[in-house]
Parts: sequence; C-alpha cells; structure tokens
Amino acid sequence: MKNKEIRIALTGNPNSGKTTLYNALTGKNERAGNWAGVTVDKRESALKNTYAAGNKVIAIDLPGAYSMSPFTSEESITSDYVKNAEIDVLVNIIDATNLSRSMFFTTQLLELGIPVVIALNKSDINSKKETIIDIEKLSKQMNCPVVSTISTSGTGLQELVKNAIAVVGITQKAPYTQAKINLADKQEVVVADRQRFSFVNSIVSTVETRKVLTSDKNSQDKLDSVLAHKWLGIPIFAVVMWGVFSISQTYLGPYIADYLVGYIESFGAYVGTLVEGASPFLQSLLIDGIIGGVGAVVGFLPLVMVMYFLIALLEDCGYMARVAVVMDRFFKKVGLSGKSIIPMIIGTGCAIPGIMASRTIKNERERRTTAMLTPFMPCGAKLPVIALFAGVFFEDASWVGTSMYFLGIALIILGALLTQKITGTKYRKSFFIMELPEYKMPSIKAATLSMLDRAKSFIIKAGTIILLCNAIIQIMQSFNWQLELVAEGAEQSSILASIASPFALLFVPLGFGVWQLAAAAITGFIAKENVVGTLAVVYGITNFIDTEEKVLVGGSSDVASVMGLSAVAALAYLIFNLFTPPCFAAIGAMNSEMQSKKWLIGGVSLQLGVGYVAAFIVYQVGTLFTTGTLGDGFFFGLVIVVVLLSIVGYLIHKGNKSIKDTSLNKY
Amino acid sequence: MTLAQGSIGNSYIVESISNQDDELTDFLFTLGCYAGERISLISQISGNLVISIRDGRYNIDKNLAELIQVIE
Repeated sequence: MKNKEIRIALTGNPNSGKTTLYNALTGKNERAGNWAGVTVDKRESALKNTYAAGNKVIAIDLPGAYSMSPFTSEESITSDYVKNAEIDVLVNIIDATNLSRSMFFTTQLLELGIPVVIALNKSDINSKKETIIDIEKLSKQMNCPVVSTISTSGTGLQELVKNAIAVVGITQKAPYTQAKINLADKQEVVVADRQRFSFVNSIVSTVETRKVLTSDKNSQDKLDSVLAHKWLGIPIFAVVMWGVFSISQTYLGPYIADYLVGYIESFGAYVGTLVEGASPFLQSLLIDGIIGGVGAVVGFLPLVMVMYFLIALLEDCGYMARVAVVMDRFFKKVGLSGKSIIPMIIGTGCAIPGIMASRTIKNERERRTTAMLTPFMPCGAKLPVIALFAGVFFEDASWVGTSMYFLGIALIILGALLTQKITGTKYRKSFFIMELPEYKMPSIKAATLSMLDRAKSFIIKAGTIILLCNAIIQIMQSFNWQLELVAEGAEQSSILASIASPFALLFVPLGFGVWQLAAAAITGFIAKENVVGTLAVVYGITNFIDTEEKVLVGGSSDVASVMGLSAVAALAYLIFNLFTPPCFAAIGAMNSEMQSKKWLIGGVSLQLGVGYVAAFIVYQVGTLFTTGTLGDGFFFGLVIVVVLLSIVGYLIHKGNKSIKDTSLNKY
Repeated sequence: MTLAQGSIGNSYIVESISNQDDELTDFLFTLGCYAGERISLISQISGNLVISIRDGRYNIDKNLAELIQVIE
C-alpha cells in the first residue's frame, strides 16, 4: 500500500467548498469563490505530507455537480471523470447546511462501487444555526465514513484523509440502488429520480434536527433588501468599488509603495556605481531600460496587492452574488444574463480566468459575447496604468479608478447591445437562477494567500516578459537603422521612433500623437504593464510614485510636463489603453473559449474599435468643453471612426453567420 | 397559479413545471424543485424573487417564476 499512489477525487455540489478543501489539502492556491461555478475544469496535485502521512496521495478537484446526469459542461467533466478515470476513493463534499439537496448526488456516487468518504463541510455554519446532524447514524445508513469538516480552517481534514486512505480497495455497498430502468425513457428516469429523492428525504428526516428553517426570514434578507435593492444596489456597488480603489490607490497602496520605490531607486543607483566603467549604451540599457522599466512596473505592486486583497475579501463574503442579481436586469436588456457577470467579476483580477469562466454559459452566442467583453473590466495589469495616470494628472486617484471600472461595465453593456443588434439575434427568453450564498465573515487568511499568489505572478511577469520588452524598447530607441547609437536630442531618428511614428499619426485625433506614447500603447497589447514600463524607458523616468507628498497635493507636475499631455488627452490615453485588447494571453484565452476565428477577429476588432472611439470622444468632447475648440485632427479622426465602425460591424456580422451554421448542425 | 403570482412570505407546493427547456427542468429537479415539493417565496430583490427550495436559497427571475405552477 505504501508505494502505490492513491487517487482521491473531490466531488460535490457547486459552492460546497471543494476548491477550498483542495487548497488546504495540497497547499495549492487555486481560485475559490463563494458562489457556484468558479471551478470549470479538473486539476490534480499531491497532498501535503502533513495529511498524506507517508503515503503518495493525489487529490483531484472537480467542478461542482448536482447530479450524475450532466446538465452543464462542467457537470459532464465531473461525471465522465468519476465514471471513467482510475479513482481509488471518492470524497464527497456535502454542504452540511443543505443536506437534503446534496445527498441526491451522494446516493448516485455510492452506486459506483468506488469507496466513498463523506465530508460534512461548513459544519461551523450549522453549529451556529443549531442544526444538528447525527453523524454516526448517517454513516451507518450510507455505509461509508462521514467526517465533519470546516475547509476554511482545516478542521477535520486529518481525519478525512485518514478515513479515505483506510477505505482504499473496499467495494462500496450502495444504500440505495436505482431499479433497472430504460435510461432513454424520460418518464421512467423522472420516476426513478423522484424515488431517489424520497429515499434521501427519509434519511435526512432521521439524521437532521433543525432549529432555524431556511425559509424563515432572517437578518440576511434585511441585508439583501439593501445591498441588492433595485435602485440602491448600483450606487452601493459604486461606493464599494470606490472604497477598493481609494484604499488601494490613494491611501494604503501608495504608502507602502513609497518605501518600495525608494529601495528600487537606491538599488538602481547602486548598480549604477558598479557599472560606471562600462560603455554608456550598456549602462543605460541596464539602468534605464531594465532596472528603470521593470522598477517602474514593480513600484505599483503594493497598489495591485492591496486591490487583490480587498477584492478577495469581497468575493468571499457573498456580496458578489448580489451584484450579479442587481446587474441581471440590465444585462438581460442587451441579450446577456446575470450569468455573464461572474466571468466579468473574475475578470477584475485577471481577464484570463474571467474569459475561461464564460464556459459556464450554455448559450453559444451569450458565451462568445461574454468572452469578448470580459477584457473590458480593469484587470490587475491595468491597475498600474490607472494609478500612474490618476496620480500624475488627477489629484484624486480613487475617482479615476472607480469611473474606469464603471465605464468598463457601461462599455460591456454597449458592446453587448452592438453585438446583439449586428448579429440580428431575435429575442430569446432567458431564465436566471442563481444560488444565494450566505453572507459570512471573509477569511483574511484566504485573501492573503490569494494576494500573495497574484503578487508572485505579477513579479514573475515583470521579471520575464516586461523585462524583455523594456530591454528591446531601450535598444530600439538607442539605435537608428544604420545601427549607430542615436545622439542626444536626435531620438526622432531611432528605430523605435520610426516604427511608432506612423501609429502616432493615427493617435493625433485622440490627443496623443507622439511616438513615445504610441510605442507605449503598442507594447501594451503584449501585456498591459508594458505601458508603464515603456513610458519609463522612453521618457527616462524612474519614479512614478513620488516619494514626497507631491502626488497628493498638486499632481506630480514634472512627469506630466515631460509627457506634454493635457488632462483631457491623458484621460483619453488612459481610456485607449484600458479598453483595447488587454494582452496576448487574453486574446489566446478568447480564442479557445470562442472556438471561432471569425468571432475572435470580430472580438479583437471590436475591442480596438471601442478603445479608439471612446478615446476619440473623450478627447474631442473634453477639449471642446475645456478650451472651446475641437481637438487636433477631428475630421481625420471622424473618418477613421466611421471606417472602424463599419469594419467591426461587417466582421461580427460574418461571425454571426457562422454561429447560425454551427447551431444548425448541432440541433 | 404561477409562482410569479404568489405572495411574499407564503409557501407553496409545486404542481408542475411548464417545460420550456428540458435542461432547465432537469436542473430545477436536482435542486429539489419538482411537483409535490414545497417552495417558499421569501422576498423580492431587484425585480427578481428570492425563493427557498429544501435548504437552499436562490434568486430567480420572473421569467422562471412564471414557469412554475404552484398551489397553496
């Protein structure tokens, strides 16, 4: 037994705590959320030795399922896997607060012959509500071990694993066996399933005693009636997000960042003294290009970390499910449903898992539209860009972030409307059902872990792709096409300037038609942090977060004057960067979820078009308001906008035709 | 009557589910929402209904509530 690998599959209803349990058992840091459908694919890892106790144990985390008969694509992953893969033990995680629903799936698992161990999870919530489950009786009736667990604190996990290892090799006896029926006959299946449910009911009534009924009104409902109020819901959400941006970008974030930037600067200076004798080009490549560029991005790390921490808290406490309810109304009007909101909320951290989460949406058009629009949410990589512009050009940093967040939502709704209109999809009645998780105190530990994990990937990204891009940018701006070093003051002749200048022309109507800004925007398509890194390199600025109090009082005018942008043009530049495609990786994720090249091209074009048009409108209208005249290149820009709109429209229209074809094949 | 016509605070017995979509009906079934089961209308938020089926709380929209036929 000692040498054989033991494979344990974690199964259970959505939001029963499988991923939290998986993370606790394996020491991994997979994304968990207090709502259904966060896990959309299976993953596996070895157990920590504190639990495995010398055995080689592999835990497999599966998407949540309510039943072995799959209704959603995540559910079919689960049932296929459980039926076909070599599994030694099934750990069935039951949400102890909803025993009567969870056990339907449990009785199905028990019929497979694979040994089952039941983890009665969330037992802490039960004890709070004085719901008592007779574990011994339940175990006897189910013919399998039952362990009470709290996956958020790790309580009961030792015992769970011990029990799981002990049952390896046993053939599970089923407490309930479905009569032989013709599975193709819908009616027979319904009758059999009802019999199963009545068996479950009879068990639950003997093992569970409840003091508080779920159907009773409680304090949660009072909270719901405010937080998910028809009209107050959105303003409250806006205040919450303002709080998040305010803490992460105006108060706590910059406070920590000050220290970090100080260290980075002195590190740069120290390295400078070491390489004093080297050639000036190599010196500037190392100091300005690599340390300066990467340092400028890493300087924003504390702001990003604080934001990730706060968002993890929000997700954990159950509030985000209410946001989905509030938004359902608006999304329905544009052919999406509240289901599309979950990918978008996840996309606030990083667009890639957000796009992947769109998989849970069954309707193909809805799913593709969601994958296409999710990148409009400001992700963690965009945060340094927001923070930079808010800090340099606008005195109060937090309204900028909050308004960009809601502008993102508005553009998503607009984009969905556009897609719906162009694809000519007829009105389809959609149905919305979403489990409302109970509000709970968010776990500081889980939020900290999630924050550290994301910080790690931020640093890795800064040390690899961002570093490489900055080095290339530095080289390209140091040399001209004859591969001679560019003289001071003749930067216009550099390779970088000559490549970026034609693009800069396109940006004249947006208010930022200079090659430096164009170069930064273009590198931003590879990864958004590059915008900050490239700006640092091309303008030779190392410190974007002022170590003095300057940022808070007057805007750091030195950085602003170097860039030579008006506040309106800066806002337009920010908007252009936020609402054009976020990074290569996100485009890759869109490609794999959309499963259609035409949709992908349409989607990326839409993002480019929306970014361009939004920046154009902000710059031109803003300039008209502030100076009384239209901005530069208005008519040129207008022509581009009109051409862009028609191209995007045409491409999505083509994509729609292919949808119609595939849906014809499917049904 | 349909669940959409029910009044907040009452509980009803599901009579039938108008079958618009097999998958949806099956999904409701796994939650424990099928003929003969009890369903409670807890509150209304943002134009949607909060219901409880077994020991779970769900938010459903009016479109869905209209498919669920209930009796007192």
